[in-house]
Amino acid sequence: MVPNPLALIAEVTHRCPLHCVYCSNPLQLASATSELSTEEWVSIFQQASKLGMLHAHFTGGEPLARQDLTELIASARAAGLYTNLITSGIGLVEPRLQALVAAGLDHIQVSFQDSREGPANWIAGAKAHTHKIELSHAIRRHKVAFTVNLVVHRQNLDHLDEMIAFIEQLNPERVEIAHAQYYGWALKNRAALMPTRAQLERAVEVVTAAEKRLAGRIRIDSVVPDYYAKYPKACMGGWGRRLMLINPAGKVLPCHAAEVIPGLEFENVREKTLAWIWWESASFRRFRGEDWMPEPCRSCDRRAEDFGGCRCQALLLTGDAGATDPACSLAPKHHLVEAAALAANEDLVIAEPAGAPSFVQLQRETAELWQYRTNPE
Amino acid sequence: MAPPQDSSQPRLAAGCRWGGSEISRVVLYPEGALKLQGTGQQVLERCDGQRTFGEIIAELQNEFGTTDPVKIRDDISKFLEQLQHKRIIDY
Repeated sequence: MVPNPLALIAEVTHRCPLHCVYCSNPLQLASATSELSTEEWVSIFQQASKLGMLHAHFTGGEPLARQDLTELIASARAAGLYTNLITSGIGLVEPRLQALVAAGLDHIQVSFQDSREGPANWIAGAKAHTHKIELSHAIRRHKVAFTVNLVVHRQNLDHLDEMIAFIEQLNPERVEIAHAQYYGWALKNRAALMPTRAQLERAVEVVTAAEKRLAGRIRIDSVVPDYYAKYPKACMGGWGRRLMLINPAGKVLPCHAAEVIPGLEFENVREKTLAWIWWESASFRRFRGEDWMPEPCRSCDRRAEDFGGCRCQALLLTGDAGATDPACSLAPKHHLVEAAALAANEDLVIAEPAGAPSFVQLQRETAELWQYRTNPE
Repeated sequence: MAPPQDSSQPRLAAGCRWGGSEISRVVLYPEGALKLQGTGQQVLERCDGQRTFGEIIAELQNEFGTTDPVKIRDDISKFLEQLQHKRIIDY
């Protein structure tokens, strides 16, 4: 039984003022000139609502880079969708925030890279940290739900408790402790991002304690990264089961990474309706149901729970999008993930020097550590 | 956070609102939707920030005349506490 989709991920642009090393955008970014127009997005929201979708997530790149964002949010809201804005906050000053809330923005999620200014800017590749703090104060003066998305990885997990305490001061309703996932730039930079097992175990303790302390005040959402889990994640809630992502140029994908899979033709919303793409397109049907599953998934008790894990990760690590996700301990190619974990635990050197290093100093000392995200042409 | 008091005025938290269709009402919140049935819907529809918890209980005890009123109160209190934890309700 194929359900109706619940959420639309509106990846409205790949332009972004930051260069975060953990970015999961594809390495091939959509050019600015290929972006869908305002009118095209308005039509998409109306189609999305008719298909039964409840949520629209505005993301990118940096969605604030779209001059028409207020109009986009207003039209998504008018179409009956709950509007979430996933943003770095760069480009958002109070008058514009006011306009977005007035247009019907329900929820804003602001990313933070660290509690410390130098390292935060070092990870983002730009001076963004102070502005995010100011924006957080401004958000609390408006009637909109506020989530802080804290991206964690090898370079900052050692002071997770300090970062959570810092976030508490910003007073969001919700905090997402988002372990970096290895797609796009994050996969390129995996060696610098992947935590040690000890870091992860400590993080679980810190989060558990914080959940207790903040119960009823701030809700914490956190997921253990799948490289260290026994079973894989139910990626996107299953291929073509919960959501549709539309990239800046109108390509419709079941998730943000799916273009890495060869042999799949993805439809464009300029040519086909959203409904047809969801129910009928070969790309959305490709990994639905159980017929495509190899063993051990095919006869596994968990197959309706995690659907064999992530297709894109299977492709990226094993070369076969139809393979069991190697994050699963039962996967034939599980050794690929084990090897990465082994490497992460052998080398205990963390790049960030002690003291209060500045952004510039950190960049100078760690030039070989990772590659920053570039902007599209 | 303590359970609701008689004088508490439960209401949907910031960024939480009704959605879905006439037949299938949901409460929308960041990144999610709460599907409601029967009693759950009746309780949440009364969480308008005006009615007190005491008034909501009394109204529903009237509706479900034959059920033990203490049980009704307990169940609804637990329900609202769970939603408060998830930051869907404030009181």
